[in-house]
Formats: sequence, structure tokens, C-alpha cells
Amino acid sequence: MEKEQFYYDNKIVKMFLWATILWGVVGMLVGLLVALLFVFPGLLEFAGADNAISWLSFGRLRPLHTNAVIFAFVGNGIFLGVYYSTQRLLKARMFNDVLSRIHFWGWQAIIVAAAITLPLGFTSSKEYAELEWPIDIAVVLIWVVFAINLIGTILKRRQRHIYVAIWFYIATIVTIAVLYIFNNLEMPITAFKSYSVYSGVQDALVQWWYGHNAVAFFLTTPILGLMYYFIPKVANRPVYSYRLSIIHFWTLIFLYIWAGPHHLLYTALPEWAQNLGTVFSVMLIFPSWGGMINGLLTLRGAWDKVRENPVLKFFVVAITGYGMATFEGPMLSFKNLNAIGHYTDWIVGHVHIGALAWNGFMIAGIVYWLSEKLWKTPLYSRKLANTHFWLGTLGILFYAIPLYVAGFTQAFLWKQFNPDGTLVYGNFLETVTQVIPMYAMRAIGGTLYLTGFILLAINVIKTAKAGSKVEDELAEAAPLKKISGQRVAGEGLHTWLERKTVLFTILTTVAILIGGLVEIVPLILVKSNIPTIESVKPYTPLELEGRDIYIREGCNNCHSQMIRPFRSEVERYGEYSKAGEFVYDFPFLWGSRRTGPDVHRVGGKYNDNWHFNHMLDPRSTSPGSIMPRYSWLIKNDLNASNVEDKMEGLVTLGVPYSAEDISGAKQALLAQAKEIENNLRQDPEFVKNYSSSNIQNKEIVALIAYLQRLGTDIKAGKTALK
Amino acid sequence: MEVVYITIGVSIIVAVFFFIVFLKSVKSGQYEDTYTPSVRMLFDDELVKDEKEGSKEPEKAKENQQTNNKN
Amino acid sequence: MSNCFHCGADCGKKPIKFDDKNFCCNGCKTVYEILNASELNCYYDLEATPGTIPSEIKGKYNYLDNDEIAEKLLEFNDGETSVVEFYIPSIHCSSCIWVLENLNKLNEGITTSLVNFPKKTVRVTFKNKLTSLKAIAELNTSIGYEPYISLEDADSKNNKVDKTLIYQLSIAAFSFGNIMLLSFPEYFQVDGFWLEKYKYLFRWLMFLMVVPVVFYSAKDYFISAVKGLRHKILNIDVPISLGISVLFIRSTVEILLDIGTGFFDSLAGLVFFLLLGKFFQQRTYNFLSFERDYKSYFPIAVTKIVNGEEKNIPVKDIEKGDRLLIRNEELIPVDGILINGNAALDYSFVTGESIPVSKNSGDKLFAGGKQTSGAIEMEVINTISQSYLTQLWSNDVFNNSEDITIKNLTDTISKYFTIAILLIAFVAGIAWYFINPSMAFNVVTAVLIIACPCALALSAPFAFGNILRIFGYKKFYLKNAETIENISKIDTIIFDKTGTITSNDKTQIHYKGVNLSSEELIAVKTILRSSNHPLSRSLYSYIVEKPFEEKPEEFKEILGKGVQAVINNSKLKLGSASFLNVESNSLNETAIHIQINNKYKGCYIFNNSYREGTKEVFNILAENYNLIILSGDNDGEKPYLEKLLPKKTQFQFNQKPEDKLTFIESRQKKGEHVLMIGDGLNDAGALAQSNVGIAISEDVNVFSPACDAILDAHEFEKLPVFFKLSKKTIRVIKASFVFSFLYNIIGMYFALTGQLTPVVAAILMPLSSISIVVFVTILTNWISKKL
Repeated sequence: MEKEQFYYDNKIVKMFLWATILWGVVGMLVGLLVALLFVFPGLLEFAGADNAISWLSFGRLRPLHTNAVIFAFVGNGIFLGVYYSTQRLLKARMFNDVLSRIHFWGWQAIIVAAAITLPLGFTSSKEYAELEWPIDIAVVLIWVVFAINLIGTILKRRQRHIYVAIWFYIATIVTIAVLYIFNNLEMPITAFKSYSVYSGVQDALVQWWYGHNAVAFFLTTPILGLMYYFIPKVANRPVYSYRLSIIHFWTLIFLYIWAGPHHLLYTALPEWAQNLGTVFSVMLIFPSWGGMINGLLTLRGAWDKVRENPVLKFFVVAITGYGMATFEGPMLSFKNLNAIGHYTDWIVGHVHIGALAWNGFMIAGIVYWLSEKLWKTPLYSRKLANTHFWLGTLGILFYAIPLYVAGFTQAFLWKQFNPDGTLVYGNFLETVTQVIPMYAMRAIGGTLYLTGFILLAINVIKTAKAGSKVEDELAEAAPLKKISGQRVAGEGLHTWLERKTVLFTILTTVAILIGGLVEIVPLILVKSNIPTIESVKPYTPLELEGRDIYIREGCNNCHSQMIRPFRSEVERYGEYSKAGEFVYDFPFLWGSRRTGPDVHRVGGKYNDNWHFNHMLDPRSTSPGSIMPRYSWLIKNDLNASNVEDKMEGLVTLGVPYSAEDISGAKQALLAQAKEIENNLRQDPEFVKNYSSSNIQNKEIVALIAYLQRLGTDIKAGKTALK
Repeated sequence: MEVVYITIGVSIIVAVFFFIVFLKSVKSGQYEDTYTPSVRMLFDDELVKDEKEGSKEPEKAKENQQTNNKN
Repeated sequence: MSNCFHCGADCGKKPIKFDDKNFCCNGCKTVYEILNASELNCYYDLEATPGTIPSEIKGKYNYLDNDEIAEKLLEFNDGETSVVEFYIPSIHCSSCIWVLENLNKLNEGITTSLVNFPKKTVRVTFKNKLTSLKAIAELNTSIGYEPYISLEDADSKNNKVDKTLIYQLSIAAFSFGNIMLLSFPEYFQVDGFWLEKYKYLFRWLMFLMVVPVVFYSAKDYFISAVKGLRHKILNIDVPISLGISVLFIRSTVEILLDIGTGFFDSLAGLVFFLLLGKFFQQRTYNFLSFERDYKSYFPIAVTKIVNGEEKNIPVKDIEKGDRLLIRNEELIPVDGILINGNAALDYSFVTGESIPVSKNSGDKLFAGGKQTSGAIEMEVINTISQSYLTQLWSNDVFNNSEDITIKNLTDTISKYFTIAILLIAFVAGIAWYFINPSMAFNVVTAVLIIACPCALALSAPFAFGNILRIFGYKKFYLKNAETIENISKIDTIIFDKTGTITSNDKTQIHYKGVNLSSEELIAVKTILRSSNHPLSRSLYSYIVEKPFEEKPEEFKEILGKGVQAVINNSKLKLGSASFLNVESNSLNETAIHIQINNKYKGCYIFNNSYREGTKEVFNILAENYNLIILSGDNDGEKPYLEKLLPKKTQFQFNQKPEDKLTFIESRQKKGEHVLMIGDGLNDAGALAQSNVGIAISEDVNVFSPACDAILDAHEFEKLPVFFKLSKKTIRVIKASFVFSFLYNIIGMYFALTGQLTPVVAAILMPLSSISIVVFVTILTNWISKKL
């Protein structure tokens, strides 16, 4: 009577589990590859020094690594845990199997699309949001599918109480959707090219508002939800304090949303916004540590279990990593610490503590535990899992410690002055070569971690093979569960009303968001009233094309374009960057890391030939440089067929190109290219090697044009004033 | 810097959304009992029984056993 | 030696074997069988020996078939489906949650069952067609989870938790956070050029968000202030309301006239912190009730015998002359006369004394006793409202609602405080009027804003809240924070005797002397059967052997001495040391000495049942308090108590419940602040009348009378420490008052010199509040370190 029997969908969980393992290996492998490039810059030049392969260059692989790890590995890991725990917590099969399958295959298709397009150079250049607009739309659609599937399950649940883990999932879904949409508002030019609708400072603010919250709501809240489900489950004891977990959830949600601007301290962002970011970031330590303590204390009195159960070991290190990362975060939000840490490898280390320990180890623990549950058999080898644990832990240490050392070294060397007021390390390269041993150790750490993860893959495959071999998908995917009946059955009207209010809330929110969009979007398109600098002019057609090449090659992954107002930076790079200089930058290219020097004032610093030779072989102009060769830029013809479309698109976004500018774009482009070729031909060495080549049609020329323009407008203004 | 209004505006909209959800959940009694749910979530595996075999061993009472089904 | 697989109790020499497991009794075995049959034996995997021994149920819940009664108990009923919430005191571990949430496997009519562990309740949803309220109650009882159904449940159902404070607090918190965000731009970048354009939007958004904070979140402060003023009291809420109003009005005026950004963030923060303090102080012990009266002890229905047929009627319908059937373990709801059967009444609810009292046909039975030896019939001589026990509740002390005029520490200070700030504001206003008239409004409002005694109002709630929490951990549960303040003022402590300074454990009997043979034991037990003395009754139930069928000969009971009789030609003499002419071991000891055929065998010693540490507790308390023993018993133990307790302890014996009440009243009239510690219903009036009433309880989950605090009996020794800590807490609060005055002086400087800008207020307010909170929390933790 009244009791319903239903199946949990384990098939989908298994699918996500395999995807997690697969993409984990891929993502980490790419990570290891890019780490090795720091030590062996020529590692991937299989076809010889002069025939560098474009899609294997660091600038293109790095986004592949970050996207693969964040969205493919951790993403699938989240879905794996969410699909498993949600069904059980709500005592219901997922809302709709078709949606589950669409979600799975759609997400994998997106990953594949990303894995293809990113190396090909189709990128929007915004960190962790590099995917181009068609894929962005797909991401949003699949995310909505996920949202419907989860909310549908919540609505048809058979358990009145919504356990705290589900709250974390809900927060993830809602917030990521909103953030992703707002950060990826783009003006499409072609099928795989778009411009961010925001420019310069505005774009930077939106990007890091998103970037920070992506960390918060993609890499933190869902994993916390998983923590609140899997740790009690595995340890078989209730969470230390359920009340604390509720407080943890709500305070975290309300604080995180406000903390974004701490990524832009000392930039051209309005100061109050920077301070606001600091205040809220510091406050974040309370809920974060509250959560960490709650997780760890759940294991109080169960340390004997931890000793013998590798799954719990993974969890303990994961939570410790969470604690470390969430302590560091607020610390790095203090302006004086940020002044040291920003742009250095400290940040890379900080991020990897979160990724390797918190995300990676949580997921590893969950995968081990679930493979026993899903295949109804003990783990193939507990010993192997323990080996993985030790390799992984060692890997984390070997990864993080060298990078912390590297970070402090960099900060120290960059800021060191001679008594006469000159920089001790005037040549940026000297600060790079100093830390290369650290990069080597980091690569070893990565190798250890990856090896451990491969052991996991082997272990799980073997476990699956030894386990239930039923190939009949239906039977295997549909375990029968006798349930305690429908909680709601007795309530009739009440339940209906309650459901209605949930629906009502969702609909209201959708309405608010749409209303907000309608109001806000026109606001963005209004001309920015950033203090404009008279002499700052839009890019010429050739520079525009050069800038797009800069974006395509991912130069911003190693070079910043934001000189902070410190003596050391002004001395090294030139006058500090002003907000008004970036008004025509769609998107902004400030970067977040200085593996190479800042290039905001590089325009006019070197002659065109230097840039030409530097791109061809960085080590010829800068011995010891670890920059990749860009020989294809000299071989490839510049495809400027869309330049008018691009300019028209930018006009819509507020760039003041006149009609004549656009109609004469091709001509102007050719003229400027010709001029650069002439410059290049002044070097006899160049003439000797490229006498017959039509260099003015090549991509390199556009890039040189862009680089030589960088940061010069303000100088022009000065001379004009004089 | 209109974009500040977007980020603040959207943040506040999201915050208001969560705030409404919070009030609703308090009202619906979500947080009246802050202990039992943490124990209840540990149970669901043991709940599952193999109906046909009527097994008495708890180890067998795992959820994934293939059994008859009324569908 | 083995322990019961179900409940963990010692199985004794002959455990019941079943399924290779040992059980202490058939009850436990039956529960195991029930669970096993329904595949619910996971129950035993979750926790070791999670069960409780089920009690007898025959006919116990017949009254639930009475529709009128059932309707009162059901929370919801649409004809098909019903929902009922049972209070089940025996819920104690996760196995309990598990089995109670799987009731549907035991009865297919049950749809769901949901446990609330802290409240110890289970909500059952069931189909009316398939099962009934009675069946569910019986099912629960049969597996050891006896629901407690009382008259109170029927009278007050659906008393929902008041969530207003949560709403008020969350609205304040939400607005505070967002207003902070919106007010930052003007603090940090006053001359931002784009700010000029958009600051109005920010300001009005802040205004929008602060409105619900002032008119909803803070409304209780206004209400309380008005109430206080009506009673001509300047309570702390007066300056708070004044501060909030002034903040709101001045800020609104500022943004209206474009003078400045206003103090909205300070305002929201102020309300937030105040409510946080209130919230922190609000401790609820869901599983305890401080308000119990006789209703929560009484059944809601009884079985009436009409023309030889049993009929269930609600208790309130009992009339004089009715004939009632009282089953084993049932409570006698009204005064009456025993007609049929052997009554052994446990009056522990009433007197604290758990040794049953025997009654014979024709004896008068008083309401409140629990029948312990089979079914009896009785005739009603008083309706429920006229019964001896319930009459006590007609006394005024039970109808006194919270008196607004109770002055607490904070309000005492706030009276002077309020007058002082009004004076300062007035003087400053006049002074500035002459110096610079345009500043007068600013300065007056600034004074009122800065003087808003946020820190002052916070220190007590946080100190009390923290101490309540600490006391709670140590099993001293206080109803509210005022109790701490009241404890600190106490000068007289009155103890009930039985159940309060003596413990209720009756099993502490041990034998000393020559071992008795089984034959002799049987003989002893047979004789004891005929004696009604409480000690005899306890020893009777202590001896496990089965008595002889035949009656003893030459049975003689000498009051206050002992009994003697001949059985199977043996002459037995049982009784006090003097009765047998043997040396008593000590004064303290209560014993039954045994002599068989003129040979002294030994004695059963009833362990001194005074609580451990009674002497020490009294000695410590005697230093600072008047101590009085107020007992309903006779003065038999007076000599011993006089020896045990400090000299100045006074004694009052033979006190009826109403005597206790009037006694306390008379002491209070002399100006004494009286604290009463008691346990039974007979102390209820006294507990209510006293300034602080503490109920002492062996098991806090079972029942205790209405009181201000409940103390776990095992923590009795700590009583002096709890009292001392309460006093120290008041000192901590006083110290924090000094601290917060310092902040006020600093703030006053800014206010009087006309320099109070929003930034200063925004820094000063949270700083003072947070530092006060930290200060009192650390200090209260520190003083209670030794507890």
C-alpha cells in the first residue's frame, strides 16, 4: 500500500565515474606536459625547431589543462557524486533518465569540443571561460538540463527533509548558471570568434567576479556537498554538527558572492571595490573553517577507521587541503600580501592545493568507495589504493612546496633594488632562470600525482571486472529499492501547495533574472564613462588582427598587461596602467601570471626585427628563455577576411570606428603591413633569409603591429601635451 | 564602471533569491530538527531488502540486488 | 554472566535463549522476534543493545478507539489519512531512529514515520482504513517505544515553534550585509566621479533594505519600550528604541536633503547584533519541559465500568460515583475509594517516594498514584478538578503570567543611563545652539545615536547565553537567562527531602551476615508478603524466590519495629536492630535484621539513600545561605539529618503541598529570596512560589514539575558551584558594563564635538559590540573552567 518501488539509476553514476577517471588522466597528463615545458621548452618540437606545432604550444595547452581538470575531471566527479547521493538522499530516482543521458553525453561532447577547439586557438581568452560562444551556449543548455533534472528530483522526492548536501548542490546550480551567463556575454563575429561585450576594467571585473565565484561555486560548494554526504557515509557516523553544517552553508553562500574583487587588488579597479573584496574575503575564513572543522570532527573517535580505510585517508588530506587553501585565500586578499603574491607562482601553488588535495583527493576517495558500492565487490586492491594515497600526498607536497619557494623567490627578485635605485634583476629573464629547478621539482610532483591516479584507474577497472558482470543495462542500472513510502502521501493539499511554492520561487527567480538581464544589457552597451584619455584611440585593423592572434596563441597565459603602481614595476616596465587605456580592449588581456615579463608598455621598446626573431626563436634574442617558438606565425598567411565584421561588431560595442575606417580597413591593413615589412627589411640578416617571402601577408606582421602599439597611446598623449 | 552595477546587481539578485529560499525553508520546518537528518542519511543502504529471498543477513541487504519488481 | 541482546541488561542466571542469543526477559525476546520477522534486525547492527524492555499493553490503549479522544490527538485527518505525533521518552540512539522510521514494515497501514530526535517524537502518517491510532500506539509499545499520551497533548496540540526571531534576525543579517556593501563606496572613494552619479541609487537601495529592519526586525524593542514606559519604567529598550528611531530619521533626512549617506549600515548592524544577542540567549531544550502541570502526568482517558461493561471515557467526563477500572501501570486520575483488588500505589509522581503503598478494599485512594499490582476497581468520590492533587493548581501562583515589573540588572542601570543621555543631549543641544545653531540638530542626534546602548544590551545576553550553554552541558538546564540572575540574588535555600536529597533508587539493598538457604529465603518472603511497611515491600520485591502458598501463623506486626511469625515450624523475626536486640552498625543505616529460630542470621541493609555529597553540599552552602529542609514525611529521620547536616539547617516535617507553598510565601514576606529544590508533584506549588524553583530528576527525560531549572540528579554535588558561577556571571556582566561605558565615552567625544560621521559610527558600533561579545564570552568560559 502506498509504498512505491523504484530503481536508483546506477548506470548514470557509472558513466560519470568512467568519465571522471578518463578526463582525470587526460587533464593531468596535459598538466604534466605543460609543467615539463617549463623545464624543456623544446620538448614538443618534434618536427624540428623551425616547424613548431601550433596546437602543442604552451599558450594553447594551458587552457586545455585548466579546462580539462576543472570542467572535465572535477565536473564529472561532481556529477558522479551528485547523481549518486541525490537519489539516495531524496529517496527517488533521478527526475528523468533522458535528461540524465543528455546531461552526460552533452557534457562529454562539450569537453571533446573544448579539447579540439582550445588547441586550435579558438578561445575567448578569459580564464576558465575560454570556450567560444557556440560551446558556451551548449554549456548553458546542458547546465539547464542538469538543473531541471536535479530540481525535478527534489520535487518528486520521497524524503521531506532536504539534507544539507542537496542545498550545496542547489547553490552550485543556480549560481554557476548566473555567473557563467554574465561572464560569457559575447558579440559573435564568426562561428568561432567573438568579442566580450565588456571592455578593459569592466571586463576584468566581471571576469574575476566570475573567476572567484567559479572557484567558490564549482570547486568548493559542490565538493562540500559531497563531503557532507560521503564522509558520514564512509565513516558511518553522523556529521559532527548538523546545525553547524547549516550555518556553514548559509553564511558561505551569502559571503562568497561578494568576495570577487580580491583578484584585482592594485589594479585600475575602483579602490572601494578592492577594499570590499578584501573585507568579505577575510570574513570568508569563518564559514570555510567552520566547514573544515565540521568535516574533520566527524571523524573524531574514528581514527582507527581512518588508519585502515584508504578512502577516509583521502578525505582527511582533502579536508586539510581545503583548510589550507581557505586560510591562504583570505590572507592573499590582504593588500600587502597580495602585492607580493600576485603574478607569482605562489598563486599557482595555492590553486593546486585546492585542486590536487581538496578536489582531486575528495573525488579519488569517492571513486574508490563507489566502485565497491556500484560493482558490489570489494576493491580490487586496497594496497594499490594506499599506494595511490601516498604517491598522491607526496605529489601534492612536491608540487606545492617548490612553487611556494618559487613564488617567494620571484616576488623577492622582482622587487630588489640596487643602492643606486636600479633593479638588481633588471633583466626579467634572470628571475625566470633562478626558479627553473623549482619547476623541475613541480614536474616530479605532478608525475607522482598522475602515477597515483593511474593506479586508481587500474584499480577501478579491475574492481569493475571482478564485480557484478551483468551486462543487461536495464537490470544493472536499476536496482530495486523498497522504500518507506511516500512521505507526501498523507498530506494532499498541503504538499501540493508546498510544491507550488517551490515552483513559484523558481519561476520568480527566472523572472527576476530575465528582468534583470533586460535592464542590464542595455546598460552595458552604453558607452563606458571610464575617465577617457584623449590620446587613447581604437586599434588599427592590422593591430586588431594582431591582437586576435595574441589571444589565439594565449600569450596572456604568461604575460600580463597590467603594471601596478609599485616602484619596482614602474622602474621595470614603465608608467603604471590606467583604467582609461583599456577602453577599447574587448576582451581585457591583463593576465594573472607573469611567467614572462609584463608587456603593457612593450610598444616601441624593441624594433620590429627583434620581435620577429624573438617569435621565431625566443632563445636567439633572450638566451635561456623558456618561451615557445612561434615559427608558424611566419609561415601562415594572415586571414583578414573578417576584419570589417570585427570592426562593425566593435562599433556595436562602443568603439568609435567611422564608416570610412571600416570600408578602408583592408587597405589600411595592407599599408601598415607593408610598412612593417619595410622595417624588417632594414636588417640585412632578414633580407638574406626571407628575400623572396611575402612577409607582409603573414600573421607575424599583425602581431608585431599589435605589440608595437601596446601602451604607446598614453605616451603619444604626453608628447602631444608637450 | 557600469559593470559594477551588473556584478553588484546580479550578486544581490542571487542573494535575494537565496534569502527567499532560506525563509521558505525555515518556514517549511527544514531546520526544526537539527540532529535526526544527520543520522537518517546514514540509513538508506540498510533499508533495502531483497524481497524474494527474504534474507536475514544484513550484509545481503544491499541495495543493488536484482529482485522482482512491480513495474 | 550474559547481557541481553536487546536491551543490554544483565540476564541473570537463567537467560532466555532464542536464536543463539540471550535475552533478559520475554519482553525483549518478543521485540527481537517482531523485528526479525520483519527484517528489521539491522536495528542491532547500528548500535549494540539499543532496546528497552517493553511494558505491558493489555487494554492500555483501548481509549484511543474513542473518536473524541482520537480526534484530539490527531494532527491531521482527512478521513483517509491521519497524522499523529507521539512523544516517546525512550528514544535514545540511532537505532531508535531507524526502527521508528521503518514502522511501515511492521504495519502496512503506516505510510511514513518521521523521528525528531531532539524532541523525542515520532510523526506517523497512516491510512485510517488499514490501521488505527490504537494499533499504532500498541505497536510502538510492543517494540519498547511506549508513546506518552497525556491530558496535556489533547489540550494543546500544534503549538508551533515561534520562528519570528529567526526571521527578524535573518532579515537584519541580510540587510546588514547588503547595506554594508552599498555604503562602502562612499566610505572608500568619496570623490569617485562616477559615484556622484550613482550614489543616490545606492542610498535609496539602502533605505529600501533598512525599512524592514526597523519596522519588522526591531519592532519588539519599540513594543517593549512603550510597555515599559506605560509602567513608568525606563528599561533598556527605551534608549535602544530612541537610538534606532533617531538613526532612521536622521539617515532618511540626510538622504532626502542630500546632506550625506546616512547611518543605514550602523542601524542595520545595531539591530543585527542586538537580535543576535537575543538569539544566543534563547536556549531551548526541546526534550525538556519547564511548564508541566498535573495535566502532563494524567492520562487522557479512563475505563469506566457501566453495567459490567468497559467503556472508555475522557478524564474530564469523570463524575462522582463512576466506577473506574485502573489497570496495572495506570495512573489514578481522581480521588476515590478502592472497591476491588489489591492496590499497591506508587506515589513517586506526587511525593518522590517510589516504594509502593498498599491499600485494601474500602481505603481511600488519592489521585496521582500509579497502580503497580494488577487491575483494580474504584469508585470516584471527587471529580478531577476537586481532587486533592489538582486542587493545588487552583492556587494563584500557577496563574501568574510573566510580570513585566521584574527588574533585571540591565534595566536597573538603563534607568540612570537613559536619564543621563537625555540630559547630555539636551545640554549639548543648547550649548551648540549658541555656538553654531546649524550643528545643534546634528549633535543632539549624534548623542542619541552613539548612546544607543548596543554594547550594554549585548553583554548580558551573551554572558547568560554562554553560561546557559555551559550549564546545559553539565546537565543543569535553565528555563531562561533570568534564572541565572535570580539565582545570584538568593539567600535562602529550601530542600525537599525524599527524592531530592535522597535518591529514588530502591535496588540498593545488600545482605550482610550468614548466608540464607533458599528455604529460609522463601520463608522470609512469605512473611514479608503480609507486611505493608515500605521496607518490607521493597525487600519483598528484592528477593527472587517464590513464596509459599500458605499463610504464616502467629503473624504479628509491631509498628515501627518489625514483624514476627511462624512458618513451617520456624520462628522468624524481622525488623529493626532494637526489635531483635542486636547492635546497630550505625545511625545512618536502615536495615531489616533477620532472626530465625532465635538465631541471628544477618541483615538486609538498605543503603543510605542520601545523595552522594549531600553533607559537603550543605556545608558549602551553609556559609552563604539559610538552609531549610521542607519535607512531607514524618520527622523520623530528623536525628540523623541533624547529625549529618550543618548546625544552622532548619527542619520542617509533615508538610503538605499547600503547607510548603505557604511556608515559602511567609519567608518571602520576610524579604528573603527563596530557592526551592524539589522533585515531586507535591513540590510543584512550592517550586512555583519560590523565586527560583529547581526540579531535580534522576532521568531528565522523564517528568518533573513546573520549574525554572532542571538538574540532573547525578550533578547534585555541583549545586554550590552552579550557584557560585551564577554570581560570578553577574560580576562579569557588571565588568562588561564598565567596558561598554568606555566606548560610550569615546563615542560621546565624537558626538559632542560634532564629528560623528557615518564612517566613525560604522567602525565604532561593530567594534564595541564585537569586543563586548568576545570579552564576556572569554570571561564566562574562564570562570566556568573548573566546572
